[in-house]
Formats: sequence, C-alpha cells, structure tokens
Amino acid sequence: MDVKLKINDVEVSAQKGEYLLDVARKAGFEIPSLCHHEAVRPIGSCRVCLVEVVAGGKTSLTTSCNYVVEPGIEVTTDSELIHKMRAVNLELLLARAPGARRVRDLAARYGVSRPRFAPVDDNWLPNCILCELCVRVCEHQGHSALSTLGRGDQKKIGLPFNRPAESCVGCGACYSVCPTECILMKETRTNRTIWGQTFDFVPCKECGAPVITEKHRDFAIKNQELPENYYDLCEACKQAAASKRFASVAW
Amino acid sequence: MAAFKNAKQLADHRKKVVASRPENRKAIAVCAGTGCKAFGSYKLLDAFKKELKKRKLDRKVELRATGCHGFCERGPLVLFFPEGMLYQRVQVKDVEEIVKQTVVKEKVIDRLLYQDPTTGKKHKKEEDIPFYKHQARLVLKNNGLIDPTSIDDYIRIGGYNSLVKALGMGPEKVLKEVKAAKLRGRGGAGFPAGIKWETCRNTESDKRYVICNADEGDPGAFMDRSVLEGNPHSVVEGMLIGAYAIGADEGYVYVRQEYPLAVERLEIALDAARKQGLLGKNILGSGFGFDIHINRGGGAFVCGEESALIASIEGHRGVPKRRPPYPAVCGLWGKPTNINNVETWANVPPIIDRGAKWFASIGTQGSTGTKIFSLVGKVNNTGLVEVPMGMTLREIVFDIGGGIPGGKKFKAVQTGGPSGGCLPEKKLDVPVDFDTLLREGAMMGSGGMIVMDEDTCMVDLAKYFLRFLKFESCGNCTSCRDGLMRLHELLVDIAAGRGTEATIDLVEELAQVVRDTSLCALGSTAANPVLSTLRYFRDEYEAHVLKKRCPAGVCKELITFRIDPKTCNGCTLCRVRCPQEAVVGKKGQVHKIIQKKCIKCGICKDVCNQDAVIVE
Amino acid sequence: MQSPGKATAPDQAVKTLVVIPRNCTGCRTCEVACAFVHSTGGRLGRSRIQVHPVGPERFVQITCLQCVEAACAKVCPTAALVRNPTTCALEVNAARCIGCGLCEAACPFGHMHFDTELRLAIKCNLCGGRPACATFCPHKALEWR
Repeated sequence: MDVKLKINDVEVSAQKGEYLLDVARKAGFEIPSLCHHEAVRPIGSCRVCLVEVVAGGKTSLTTSCNYVVEPGIEVTTDSELIHKMRAVNLELLLARAPGARRVRDLAARYGVSRPRFAPVDDNWLPNCILCELCVRVCEHQGHSALSTLGRGDQKKIGLPFNRPAESCVGCGACYSVCPTECILMKETRTNRTIWGQTFDFVPCKECGAPVITEKHRDFAIKNQELPENYYDLCEACKQAAASKRFASVAW
Repeated sequence: MAAFKNAKQLADHRKKVVASRPENRKAIAVCAGTGCKAFGSYKLLDAFKKELKKRKLDRKVELRATGCHGFCERGPLVLFFPEGMLYQRVQVKDVEEIVKQTVVKEKVIDRLLYQDPTTGKKHKKEEDIPFYKHQARLVLKNNGLIDPTSIDDYIRIGGYNSLVKALGMGPEKVLKEVKAAKLRGRGGAGFPAGIKWETCRNTESDKRYVICNADEGDPGAFMDRSVLEGNPHSVVEGMLIGAYAIGADEGYVYVRQEYPLAVERLEIALDAARKQGLLGKNILGSGFGFDIHINRGGGAFVCGEESALIASIEGHRGVPKRRPPYPAVCGLWGKPTNINNVETWANVPPIIDRGAKWFASIGTQGSTGTKIFSLVGKVNNTGLVEVPMGMTLREIVFDIGGGIPGGKKFKAVQTGGPSGGCLPEKKLDVPVDFDTLLREGAMMGSGGMIVMDEDTCMVDLAKYFLRFLKFESCGNCTSCRDGLMRLHELLVDIAAGRGTEATIDLVEELAQVVRDTSLCALGSTAANPVLSTLRYFRDEYEAHVLKKRCPAGVCKELITFRIDPKTCNGCTLCRVRCPQEAVVGKKGQVHKIIQKKCIKCGICKDVCNQDAVIVE
Repeated sequence: MQSPGKATAPDQAVKTLVVIPRNCTGCRTCEVACAFVHSTGGRLGRSRIQVHPVGPERFVQITCLQCVEAACAKVCPTAALVRNPTTCALEVNAARCIGCGLCEAACPFGHMHFDTELRLAIKCNLCGGRPACATFCPHKALEWR
C-alpha cells in the first residue's frame, strides 16, 4: 500500500500501478461500467465509469477503469455532471443495444428509458456495444481469433478480415464475458458453433458427454504441463472414478 | 564520395560545393512540388533541358527542380537566379521564348509576371509579391532554392552546420537552447518541445526513440508534405539534433502512404546522409550514432494522434491509448519516445544555427517563431504561407491571401483542420497564436486554414466535417464513435429541414459530451466544428429549423432554383446543360424550371450568363 | 482423508475439512446445505459437494481437495484462482474469471464446476472458513477441525 488518495473525501490506500476503478470498488464505492474486466487491459470504451479527478490542482473528467492511481489525487465518483455525462453515453449505448438487459437496466438507473436517437440500422451483430471484451479475452488467452473490423461508426467485431479464424479454439470465453449477450453460440452434445465455426467436443471416454472442444484441449496440452489424459473424462465420470479410488482407502 | 569523418571534412566539402557554384551563376529553378507537378512542371523541366541543350547553355545555366514555393494557385512557378525573378503559370510553349529572351538577353517577359489583381501592379521579384512580402519564411525559405534530391544543395546553403554546432555544444546546452527558444510543437496541441525533450531525456532507460510525425491527415493541409518534399534534409538534421540532445539512437518518420513523393525524397535524403556519414554510427567522429527508419501509414486520420501512431509503428491497430503515461516516458515499445511533427523538427536547425534569442524574437511572447498554414478555400491566393506567430487572420486572408474571389463577402475561416473551429468576420483581427485561437473556440491544429465566403452554409460545413470525423474516429469510445455518428445524423436532419429547436439543443448537449468524455484529442476536438459554428452562427441553424430556409442557399432540401423572367434572355444554355431536362422554354423566350424534375445540382446557375437563375 | 491445503498452511491453527465416508449415510444434507449457501438472487446455487454411492450402503462425498499444485489454477489463463491465506482454500475470483471453462476440464477429480448461466467457474471455497456441509452433516461424516 504505497499510494494514498481520496475518494469522495475518504482516505484510501492503493498499490502502485492499480487502476482507479478497481481501487474504488475494493474500497466499497460504486462506479458503473460495461467494458471493464479485471483480467484484461482496460481500454475505456464504454465511457460509463467516468469520475472527476483533481490532480495537481486540475480537475478533469476521466474514465476510472484505465486511470492508474497517483498519490494525492482527489476523486469524486458521482456528481451532477458525472451523472449527466454517464447518462448521455448510456443513451448512445442504449440506442445501439436496445435488447441488452444490462445496458437497459443501467440506463434506467440514469433516467434513460427511451433514447432520443434512432436505433442503429445494423444487422452485423445486434446489441453489440463494441466494448471489445471478447476481443480482449481472446487476445489475453493467446488466440487473438477476434478483432475489430473497420473504424469509426463502421466499426464491427468479428473474425480478422472476416475470414475463418484458424486460431479460434471455440472456448466460448467471448460468449461468457459479453455484457450484452450478443454473441451467438450453439451447442449440441457433440459440437459447439461460435462465430460461424463449428468445433467438435472431446467426448467423455466413459459416457460420451462433452468435455471441452478438441482444439481447446490441444491448445491447453501444448501450452500447459498437465498430462494429456486429464481431459479424457467428463466432470461426472471423473467424480465417479475419484469416489471409487477414495472408497478403496476409506474402508 | 567518402563519408565525412569529422566536421572539418564537411566544411571543406561545403567550400568546394560553393566554389563550384558561385552566387552569381545563372540558374533556373522550376517548382517540382506536388501542386506544380500537377500543373505539368515535370514537362516544363524536360522542355527547359532540351532548350538549354539546343542552345548549348546547359553547362552555363543550372536547371534545378526545387520543392514547393507555396504559391500553388499560380503554378507552375519558375524562378530565375541570381535575380530572384518569378514567372508564374508557365507553359511548355513559353519555354523557348523564356530561354531566348530572359536567359540569353536578360529581357523580362511581361505577361509571365505576377499581376496583383487588386492594384493591377506587376511584380518582378518573388519577394515583392504581396503573397510573399508579408510572410516570414523560416522553414520554407530554402524550399524554392534547393534541389531536394541533392544533399550538396543542402550542404551548400549551410546544411548540417547546425548539427556540427550542436555536437560541439553538448546535449545539455542544445536542450537548454531549444527550451529557451520556447519552441512549441507544430502538430496541434502546441506543447513546448523543450520540455518534452527534457522529460524524455530524464526518463531512465537503456533506449530512447525519436519519431517524426508526418501523418498529415487534415483535408486540404499540405505543410508537412511540402517540407518533406522540398527540404527533407532539414527534417533529418532536426531529428539528428533532437536525438543527440535526448540521447536517442533510433528514429522513425511516420509518413502517409498517400505522399509517395515525400517518401521518395526522404528515402533519397536518408541514403545520401548515410553515405556521407551524417547518419549511422559515430557521426562526424563525435561518438554519437543515430539512424532513421521510414514507416508508411495506412491512411487513418487517427494515426496522427501520437499514441495511435506509436501503436501503428508497433504493428497494432491505430487506436489511441490513455495518456499519461506520455510517450516521453513510455512510448514506442515501452521506451521513452519523443515525438514531434515535421514542421517542429524543421524548426530545430535554425534555432541552433541562429540561437534561441533570435528565434524567440519572432512571433509573440507565448508562441515564438513562425507557423506554416495551408491557405485554401474561397481565397484568391491559395497555397502555403509561413507567417510569424501573432499575425492577424485579416492579414493572412486579405494581405497574403488577396481576399475573396469574385467580389464575394468573407464569411468565416476554419483553422486547425476538420476538428478545428470556425471564426467569423468579427474575429478577423485576433492574433493567430496557440492560446488565442483556443480561447476563441478554434485551434492552431497543424495549420490548415480554410476560408469561406457568403455562399457557404455553416450547417452544411459542420455536417461535412462531422462526416469526415465519424469515419475517421477509431471507434473506441462510445462518446466519439456513437456521439459523432449521432451528431452527423442530427445535422443531416437540420439541413433537410426536419429539425426543430430541440434538435439544436440536442446537438449542443451531445457535442459537449463528445468533447468532455472522449479519450483522445480526436474525440475531444471533434465537436469543435459544431460548437464553434453554433457559437458564432446560431442564427443560421435557427433559420434551418424555424424558417426551413438555408440562408446561404446550399442545403438542397431547403432551396429551390427559379429563373427570373425579367433577366432571362432565352439563350437556352441552361436548358441544354440541365442533366434532368428540367428546364423548358423556346429560344428567345423566358425559360422555366420544372421543380418536380429539378435535382438542385446548380448547373443552370453556373452556366447562366445573365445571372437569371435565382436560388431561394 | 484430509485436504492437503493444510500443507501450505502458514498457521498451525488452520482448520481442515475432514471427509469421513465411513459415517456417510447418503442423506445428501451436505449437498442441500451447499446449494443454499451458494444461492444467488433467489436461485439455488449449484452444490460444490456431491455424494457418490460406491457400493451397498457405501457412499463417498466428493468435494474439492484444495490441491497444493492445483490443475485448475495451472491452466487458468487469467490467474482467477487464488489461494485464501486464512482458509487455504483455492477460490475463484469471479472478477477475473473469463468463463473459458478450461479449469473444469482440467481438474482430475471433477471438482471444478461451471455455472452455465453466470458463465463463471465455481468451486468449493470452504465457505470462507465455515463450511456449511460440515455444519449441517448430521452424521459427522464431514468435520471442520
């Protein structure tokens, strides 16, 4: 704990290099956000985690997710101005993603129920707010199978160059982290389809239930030092096997 | 020629070059800048070459292809030395006469001289022409004198002398000099270069970089292009001096792919400098080593933003990062990096050569030196102008620019490129410097200056810039990406007469959010065209929504074309040229426009000799 | 059996969840208690402990062993599995979990679970030092000592 700062007039300590949003949340202050995930680099996309920071006598409105704490700064996490700025950004996002529950709920908390803008005429990935969480978790795992396409108001999320991505392992992390649940993923007992690519599951050697996609297993075996047979059985069959092993020593 | 091992060898070489080309030797300098090239100056060069050879003058008279002179409106330009006489709009057919009369007999061909449209006076010398007379050409000075592909041309006029001087001064003193000169970055924000250099130098690291930002993306701006094309060695020398002061040993020039000539000439310059030992290891025996790579940009406007530019060099998408940390602390590949634009680097050699005191005496207290502007739009003398900081807009637009063509009224001037601001007539007397422009709601930017006359609709103008910016936003921030998209939508509504007063309020509210909540400078300045036009021309917005009228007669949905029966002489010109066959009428009789068919292209108005087409 | 979490215990006073299959009657009270404790927003949680029949009237309770060299923690791409210094339990830091499901596949004992609705990895966290399964076990088949 070597950085001391003030959040809403309360003295808070943080580690050097920590981001303001994480520090504030740990200290119990509520700051809304849509594009933040502790595991990946912050990019400040949604502009909802705005706070006011007084640093070196200068007040600025800034996103807290990508603000590295500095000693002596004074932070305000809510004010009339912050509220308004968050509300307008949420209004812009709601117009883009009217079907996203999290966006709708958050916008409603800021008094926005019907945006003053027309819905985005885009069938690429309805309700996507371009927060790039999917891109970032993919990149973080070392796949980089997802990317942003284009720029400006033409920006989209998809496979690089909109071609099948060899590096996608079908892990579904993008689907898991998406704040607007806009990514399509379909699963059957034998395979999973995501971003238009289908991945076969490793079937459990005992019961045939899906364990993990084959490509994900191969990726894990290549990059981790775990024995290959760790991925042979499903959760239930592993438990059953374990219980039998334990039974032999328990009595 | 072998590489220079020390400063003396360079000085000796300069003496040799100077002796081989005495000052009074006759020379013809043809502008080979992009503007004049487009006017056919390469053909002109060939014609001169042939003609001189024919008359066996090719050994007596030197023919030189130079960089941009700035007066692009009047191209192709040809300068004659030692007199310094300027011929303008020279054609291939004039070449024979020029050589016969001007070169051989030293007679002036009157019709090729520049004639001031307001006074009717003809000017012989370049420096007497009002366009040049009011300028203070510090960076552009040598553009018209030297052949940019020849390092000897640059050495002849004292090139690389500042480097020798800097190497003698030591890094600390060089840094002190640049700080004392109060040189501010010419790329947009005007941050003091010396402080940036110092921060970079003082950041502990095993490696430092310097970068030259030549990603000049503003529509209509070509200052950096001209400097790189016309005098690439001045940028190389500036970077050398900067790298020496900062302690960097590697540099990058990030230049637009759309500037092939700049890239070509820079490559030639770098090769020549390497061969001469002015780049590489142990430069001039000083122990200081430095080399420069060229990195070509892919044409994204946002890559002019320094953190996006660095990301682009690293091979990532050009997306800006949050600052701090500033590149001077953590830049290219995480190393301290000093990034300045072309014009800033080109200002460094003269500062070292003539001293900080001299430099600081030019311009104003807060903004020293000169600034190059690309003066374009509805102005008589379009081109590149370099003026001392603090000159008023009026002087630039009227004294140098020669006012508005066609006797139209001045309406506004947009400074600072697409994300700059629009200043109206009542602000014409404000001094042009970093701080004043910002205070008035515009900005210096990299030096774009677009002049608009009474025929420009401010809503249409804001709409135009917003359209550019919404495409060029990197798309990271909600406020910038969606905010600009929505602002553009709303402006389209207003221009089409679908807006109400509430639309204007929403535009204003949204513009403020875009300005205040976006991550990088692109977003935080992108609303400027809207905010500044709303500040100075709100009445025009109101006319669009309340009266459903476009006062400038630009917004198609709000105007109609009509033929005045009193003035129409039935010449049929408009009827023949109308692409929609919307004009009817017999020869010699009054014509009429069928509104249902009219697409408001304005061709009838353009072709009418009688001014009979009325726009309402 | 003792969970080997104790091996890394910085403090001798650390308690351990002791599983005694011999006492287990297969009543599954532990499963119910676990599901209750881990319910979120009115929704019952998924039980982190399972009772497996291994023979006539014989049962083994299967729950996380809090392995010292845990496969789940090894494969996690975001270091979302963190050892609690007080309880020595390996806990999922939900804020860091990206829901890739690799830990579930890697655990050799089938103790790592995946909440398909929350899209997060879930596992036994020893209830932060007061395991509900042990508290509610009526037959002393699970003990916190």
